[in-house]
Amino acid sequence: MGEVTVNTEWLSDCSGCHVAIVDLHEKILSVLEAVRIQRCPVLTDIKDYPPATVGLVSGAIRNEHDRQAALEMRKACDLVIAWGSCAVFGGPAGAGNIHTPDEIAAAVYLENKTTVPAPPPSKMVSPLESQVSPLDSVVEVDLYLPGCPPHPAFVFEALIALVEGRQPEVNGRSVCAKCKRKMEKTGVETLRSHFEGVPDPERCFLSQGYTCLGSVTIDRCLAPCPGNGVPCTGCAGATMQILTEPNRDIRTEIADRMSRLTRIGRDEIVRSLERSAKSHYSYTMATQMIGNKPTFHIRKWIEEEQADFEAGGEA
Amino acid sequence: MPVEITVHEQSCRGCELCVDICPTKVFAMDQERRLCTVEHAEDCIACLSCAYICPSGAITQRDFHPVKNFYRDEEFCQKMGKFL
Repeated sequence: MGEVTVNTEWLSDCSGCHVAIVDLHEKILSVLEAVRIQRCPVLTDIKDYPPATVGLVSGAIRNEHDRQAALEMRKACDLVIAWGSCAVFGGPAGAGNIHTPDEIAAAVYLENKTTVPAPPPSKMVSPLESQVSPLDSVVEVDLYLPGCPPHPAFVFEALIALVEGRQPEVNGRSVCAKCKRKMEKTGVETLRSHFEGVPDPERCFLSQGYTCLGSVTIDRCLAPCPGNGVPCTGCAGATMQILTEPNRDIRTEIADRMSRLTRIGRDEIVRSLERSAKSHYSYTMATQMIGNKPTFHIRKWIEEEQADFEAGGEA
Repeated sequence: MPVEITVHEQSCRGCELCVDICPTKVFAMDQERRLCTVEHAEDCIACLSCAYICPSGAITQRDFHPVKNFYRDEEFCQKMGKFL
């Protein structure tokens, strides 16, 4: 392969994936030896889309601007990589699919209790599309690199492998594979919210009755959160067995494992995860791989929770 | 020919779920190292229950005839080959 040129583009996301390039630290020097970065919103001032070997596209498709930018990147780049959970799965913006653009505009601009109400912007910013879409629903994607952001080690490995013309070293293991907490069977009988008690720092969250998405989340992070006292929130998206098999799901897989590690009933765990589904499915609900599962009824779960909350009961 | 079963040792958390779920008792628990070990690969019927329950995704099988029905979405499976 001759000189490898790279374009990056940033659609509906938080910028974290681009910041992850900066997190390569001194390793970025070896990347720059191997590739030439052209368009990159955080590093260069190139507004158009020069032809490139590799296109890294982060972010979901949320409006007309995103759609056009994705199409331009596809035209300009030989290889397009969906970079980060937003591009691969839709990311947290996917929660917008539960509401209409009008409802979102009303909640943010017109009925916002913490700011002066103002009409939603009508100029300069393209209006929201009715749905949040992952990148591959708009353009063909050659490779997927989930993660929020993907750990620099994975970005580095992907770029260097492309430069060297070999297959990147990847695996389908979960966050648990990198977590060092002791996963063991316990006599715990009740589910606990994260604000209840102080979790034992040496022991697996599931063993203690706390919800953790480590076992259902693909490891593209090297497990920093559980190593620092924070349960996994599933930011890199679901494991491959969940993505490919309609009868497996985030909540049921957690419940299967947790009910075997503790004395908490499987159904109780499933029910609890459904009640906070917007959190547990926040990174992946916009992708058809999760959103189209026959058992995925997020609107119903949210309505039930809301009804209970308004009735003053369980929330 | 027994099914070839591999446990990625660095990823095994010693939770024993594979030992519990295996219908033919292929696995044993090494308490000292807190790892599961493959004791009777020759008894494996390739139901893949262990691979599915393993929280880490640390267990892989090779050269097997699946005996379970798998309901997989072909389009989504093709995407998996493109995951970095």
